Amino acid sequence: MKKYRFVFLLLLSLIGACENDDFCTEETTPRLIIGFYDLENPEEFKKAPLIVWVEKKDSIYQGVSLDSIALPLNPDSQNITYKFSHTKEVDQINFTYESEDIFVSESCGFKAIFKNLGIESSTSTWIESIDINNSIIQNENQVHVKIFH
Amino acid sequence: MAFFSITAFAQEEAISQTDSIPYKKNYGLRIGVDMSKLLIGATDENFSGYELVADYRIQKDLYIAGEIGFIEKNSEEDNYNFTTKGSYIAVGFNKNTFKNWLEMDNEIYYGVRCGFSSFSQKLDTYTVFQEGTAVEGVSSSYFEPKTVNLNRTYADLSAHWISFVLGLKVETFKNLFLGASVNFSKLIGATEPNNFKNLYIPGFNKVYVTNSGVSFNYTVSYRIPLFKK
Repeated sequence: MKKYRFVFLLLLSLIGACENDDFCTEETTPRLIIGFYDLENPEEFKKAPLIVWVEKKDSIYQGVSLDSIALPLNPDSQNITYKFSHTKEVDQINFTYESEDIFVSESCGFKAIFKNLGIESSTSTWIESIDINNSIIQNENQVHVKIFH
Repeated sequence: MAFFSITAFAQEEAISQTDSIPYKKNYGLRIGVDMSKLLIGATDENFSGYELVADYRIQKDLYIAGEIGFIEKNSEEDNYNFTTKGSYIAVGFNKNTFKNWLEMDNEIYYGVRCGFSSFSQKLDTYTVFQEGTAVEGVSSSYFEPKTVNLNRTYADLSAHWISFVLGLKVETFKNLFLGASVNFSKLIGATEPNNFKNLYIPGFNKVYVTNSGVSFNYTVSYRIPLFKK
């Protein structure tokens, strides 16, 4: 019996060693969270039926009415212009930011976070005003930009 | 490995009656080389390394044992790749649990080690991980992924760990041994590179999320006989 104990121990330890950390489960590059608020009542969300896209790319949202949306930022660039279409009225906002690459874990590798979020230019056909709520984008837990309409 | 086990267990069947006859054991310094690292180095272009092993018998079934080695390894992950380069040393004891027949000198042993490695990590390239954005129901990355050719070297890193060792040694010719062992290691401390992580450490092998590691070796070693006791 004693001689099997080693073999058993060996097998047991080998199984223990094959832990699976191949899947990226941590939070990676956060998206920009934009919330839509009522101009008359700035504390209240006001849903907007939106089509959102970057010029020459497919739209990310297609007319669904939401009180907040999440848009990816390009870590390889320092600015991005999104177009927001609300009942055929199109506004565009040019966001500026700095990105920083951060190591997350073995399975995820690197993510980007964004700092110094600013608005370079914007139009206002249906958008009344824009407010940066948080200029550091580290996660998707809060609204970074408020749009009043 | 299977070959070693069969020879070893076949001997054990016939032990008990003759165990009381006192045979003198060879004492000496045994030195060897890990064949697996040489073989992997010859076939895998992302790996080169060697390991020397040594032990010295201090009692009939107790040895002071150690390993010393050098490894250069390029690891390619999905989103990044890096090169680890460095040397290591591990020192400890082996305790033989195998009852030998007559003058035979085989071992099934367990042991402990303290390991230390001094190394560098070079982060070659990485691609920023960005969750796919669903466009018309299809999830893909909205922008071209950002890839950086960093080529940054993190030098003067070090790590230390403890290991539990299980192994076999079979004397195939007089004083010539074939051996195999497996190390289960736990990292105790390491200097981590800034904004990166030690995912591979020479001598420790791949570092799992629980700071544990497993490594193997297959050795050929020769005992320089010094005296009999």
